[in-house]
Amino acid sequence: MADVTRREFLKVTGASLAGSSLVLLGFSPTAALAEVREFKLARATETRNTCPYCAVACGVLMYSLGDRSKNARSSIFHIEGDPDHPVNRGTLCPKGAALIDFIHSPSRLTRPEYRAPGSDKWQPISWDEALGRIAKLMKEDRDANFVARTPEGLSVNRWLTTGMLAASASSNEVGYLTHKVIRSLGILSFDNQARV
Amino acid sequence: MRRILEPGQIEAFAEGAIPRLRLPDRTRLFASRAQRLRQLGAPGAPGQAIGDYLRLMAAVAEAQQLALGTFDAPLPTATQLARSHTHGMPLIHAGGWPRERAWRDLPAQMCAAVAAAHDVPAGAREACERLRTLAPQQLEAQADALLAARADAVEVAVAPFLMAALQAYWVALASRLTPDQVAALDVPGLCPVCGTLPVASIVRADERSQGYRYLHCALCATEWHLVRITCSQCQGTANIAYHSIEGGAEAVRAESCDGCHTYRKILYQEKDPNVEPVADDLASLALDLLMSEAGYHRGSGNPLLWQTPAERRAESVSAT
Repeated sequence: MADVTRREFLKVTGASLAGSSLVLLGFSPTAALAEVREFKLARATETRNTCPYCAVACGVLMYSLGDRSKNARSSIFHIEGDPDHPVNRGTLCPKGAALIDFIHSPSRLTRPEYRAPGSDKWQPISWDEALGRIAKLMKEDRDANFVARTPEGLSVNRWLTTGMLAASASSNEVGYLTHKVIRSLGILSFDNQARV
Repeated sequence: MRRILEPGQIEAFAEGAIPRLRLPDRTRLFASRAQRLRQLGAPGAPGQAIGDYLRLMAAVAEAQQLALGTFDAPLPTATQLARSHTHGMPLIHAGGWPRERAWRDLPAQMCAAVAAAHDVPAGAREACERLRTLAPQQLEAQADALLAARADAVEVAVAPFLMAALQAYWVALASRLTPDQVAALDVPGLCPVCGTLPVASIVRADERSQGYRYLHCALCATEWHLVRITCSQCQGTANIAYHSIEGGAEAVRAESCDGCHTYRKILYQEKDPNVEPVADDLASLALDLLMSEAGYHRGSGNPLLWQTPAERRAESVSAT
């Protein structure tokens, strides 16, 4: 009950202002109440994220306009270093500072594309096709080149003809899973750093 | 030599690198607040609709500054400080700290400023008269109600002047502490010096604190660090949004949380170097009205604007 009273107390409305110190001291809220009818509320969000470029993994704040809760498309208009982030303390390198162009770039890759051997054209393909093709080629290559034992009879279980480059901004959990998947196939060439 | 950080060390270094605390500067806190209140209440400024009220509060803030020139009260002793640290309690807790009797002279000084101000409505003069006639125990009881934010016991008309007197008292103390005396509380939403809720938060732009967000205590004006995009009420980090008046001041926004449905205003010194938490929060009353329509509650009130709780308003209507 006390909580209800307290919450009511902290709502500022035309009715609550009538009982406020502003009115009780002899001032009028009329102008303030009239003014508000002319105003509209704009909503923006700030989102914490990690810069995708390199393994330093700087924290960034992304500023966007628009109301995600009302199906409106929100649009990021500014990105800066996160001052609270222990790694970069609000700073960003020139590449990171230009992240906004990365997001709005007309040539940003937003779907899988495929360029056939010998072709000079990229063609869009579905995720299913892309993943299916990658899996098929990986299996073919692994079946042909997997080394279970060296000529000396040493057990190695390695697959040297394929490598993997993962994302540098991955969380620990994603890093763990990537590692487990790749190493269990026998792949040794494996990196999480984009080497900027 | 290779050095590997142990768990917890990164956080410990981070804690040390961010200036966690900004204690109030008694030589100019209230003077800047007064100046800002006048600026915001001027014709064409964001607070012009309640400009008269802002100017009266500016006169009160000037009286607070003047009072601080001479007023002082004893600081906590080493034993008291150690006890607060042991139990993780605020050092000069608003609700429990024994006030020196000398504080009772401060409300009269606030009222002297009201008497000297121009165009003061009769209501304000009457409130000051009422404040002068309060017996010491009534004064103490009102002070206790204000410090505990017990809306049902607060006399709304005298509250801003009495609160101003209490602010001067607490700033006199807080301004003489040193940052290493003040330990962080395990409740990030309360002032580590006096345990009061913050009036607003401010993202500072000076070299030492650039880009860091601080909560500003409504009573002792101490500022303490809180990570940005965090609800200052429930510490939630999901569904935080920033609301502003379209085409209005860019330096004042309402930081809302859809977890607890509250908001507190956040000021950006980068957009306007003169922003002052108490003054800008009070002057942006229009934003409060809009946030209220949008279904959000204030996290806590402004120390210079008090409201009668709804059920007491209902009583006074039925009584007339």
